[in-house]
Amino acid sequence: MIQSNKLTNPVAEFNGVFLRYPGGHDVLKEIQLTLEPASFHFLTGESGAGKTSLLRLLYLNHLPSKGRIRLFGQAVDTLNRRQRTLIRRKIGVVFQDFQLLEHLNAFDNVALPLRIEGVRESEVKRHVTELLAWVGLEKQLLAYPDTLSGGEKQRIAIARAVINRPQLLLADEPTGNVDDELAKRLLYLFLELNKLGTTVVIATHNKQLIKHFGFPELHLKEGRLEVIPENKYMDMAMKLFARGEKHD
Amino acid sequence: MIKKDIPFREDTAKYFLPWMSFLMVFIAVLALTGGFKIQNILNTWQIGVSGSMTVQIPAYDAQGKSREAVLDEEIEQVLTILRSSEGVLGAEVVSDEQMKALMEPWMGGELDIQLLPLPKLIDVSVDAQNLPNLTTIKSELAKQVPSAVLDSHRIWLDSLLKIIHMVIELISFVLVLLILTATFTVMYSTNASLSVHQPVIALIHMIGAGDFYIAIQYAYRNLKLIFAGGCFGLLASIGLVFLISYFTRYLFVDFYPNAVLDTLQWGLILSVPVWVGILGFITTYLTVLKYLKRFL
Repeated sequence: MIQSNKLTNPVAEFNGVFLRYPGGHDVLKEIQLTLEPASFHFLTGESGAGKTSLLRLLYLNHLPSKGRIRLFGQAVDTLNRRQRTLIRRKIGVVFQDFQLLEHLNAFDNVALPLRIEGVRESEVKRHVTELLAWVGLEKQLLAYPDTLSGGEKQRIAIARAVINRPQLLLADEPTGNVDDELAKRLLYLFLELNKLGTTVVIATHNKQLIKHFGFPELHLKEGRLEVIPENKYMDMAMKLFARGEKHD
Repeated sequence: MIKKDIPFREDTAKYFLPWMSFLMVFIAVLALTGGFKIQNILNTWQIGVSGSMTVQIPAYDAQGKSREAVLDEEIEQVLTILRSSEGVLGAEVVSDEQMKALMEPWMGGELDIQLLPLPKLIDVSVDAQNLPNLTTIKSELAKQVPSAVLDSHRIWLDSLLKIIHMVIELISFVLVLLILTATFTVMYSTNASLSVHQPVIALIHMIGAGDFYIAIQYAYRNLKLIFAGGCFGLLASIGLVFLISYFTRYLFVDFYPNAVLDTLQWGLILSVPVWVGILGFITTYLTVLKYLKRFL
C-alpha cells in the first residue's frame, strides 16, 4: 500500500454513519471508515450492497441520515454552500454511467473542472490535450459523446475526473466498459495520481484487477462495511509499476 | 468570461422570452409615452391658467340700469379683498383703453366703449407656486360685493386635472402590472428551463460549480433574450407613436406642440429595454439561486 501521511488529517472519516433514502430503509449501516491521504482502496460488494451510496456520501451528494462525516478535516454537516463547493473541487468522480455532457465535445467535457475553477484557457488547452492523448483520444478531441464508443466515453469521464489533480478520486466501475488491457492502463493512471498524493477509492466487481493491484478492499455487505487488508499481490504490482510495465 | 456549459439551445425559452419582452416593452413604452404627453399638456395648461384670474363687476343691473354710483366703491372693496389675499401678487382694473383694444378686432376702431354694457374687469395675477384659496376669496366677494363674479380657469381645470390624474394613475397601474407579469413570466420560464437541464446542472454542481457560476449563465442568457426582444418592442412602439402622431396632428393641433417629450422623458423611454433586461437578469439570478438550494 502507498504509505499514508499520518501527519495530516485523514481525507475522509466516517463515524457511525447511516444512510437512508426518503421512504426507504438503511442502505448503509454504522459505517466506520478512515481514508488516509494518498491511500488506495477498492470498494467491493454485490449489486445493491451500497457502493454507490457510499461514494455519494464521499462526493457530498448526500448527507448521512445518522452519524458524522469529516472530509479533509471538516465536518460536512457544518459546512456552508461555499465551503461544500470548495471541497467538491478537491474530489474527482468517475460515474458508472459516465455522465458526460452530450452537447460538449470531448475536449470541453474534460476541460469542465478546470474552467469551473477559473483556470486560464491556454493552460486548459495544454492540460486537456495532454491528458486526452494519454488516454488515447488525441484524435477525438472534437468528437461529441454520441459518436463515441462506451470505452471512449469512459476514458473521457476518467480524464475529466483527474484533470484537476483531485485530492480524492472516486470511481464507480471505471473499467466496466473497457477490455482488460485498457482497464489496467487506466488503473495505472489512477496509481500515478495516487503516487502524487491523491487518495483513490475505486468501486469495482473486477476481481482480477483487485488481485493484480492488491490494494486493500472496502467490502460492503448489506450496507455494512468490512475492511480487507492489502493482499500479497501488492508488492508485485508496485514493482511492475515502478518499472513502468503495464502488463501482468 | 461567462461560461456556456448549459445547453440552452435545447429549451423553448429562446422563443418565449424575447416575445414576452417584446410585448411588455411595447405596451410599457406606449403607456409611458402617453403618460408623459398627457403630463406635458397638463403642465402647459397649469402654467398657462394658473398665473391669472379675472373678477367681473357688472356695470348695469338686471334691469339694465346703470350702477355707476356704487361701482367705484365696489371696485375698491374687491381690490382690497384681492390684495389682502395670500397668493395674490397684484390686482389691477382693466382700463377703458385696454378694453377698447381687446374689443377692437370684433367691433372696429371707432368704438365708443361707454355705450356698451361692459362689466368692469379686474385682472388678478397670482403666485403659481402658492395659489390663493379661491373658495375663501369667492366667499368674501359674495359677502361684501355680491355682484362681483370670480372667473378662474383653475376651477374647470381642477375637474380636468382630476380626470387626467386618474388616467396617469391607471397608466402607473398598467406599468406595475407589466412589471409583475414580466417577473412571474421570467420566473416560470427559468424554472421550466432548470427542470429541463436538471441533470446537467446537478453534474456541474457536483464537479464543483458554485451557485454563482450556474446562476450567472442563466441570468446572462436571459438578459440577452429579454434585451433583444425589448429592443424590437421599443422600435415597434416608437414607430406606432409616430404613426399616431402623424395621423392625428390636425385633430389636436393646439395640444401637440405642448406634448413634445423632453430629453429626460426620451431617455426614460429609450431605456425601457435596459430596465426590463435588468429586471429579467435579477429575477433569473434569484430564481436559479432558489432552485439550487435543492442541491446539497
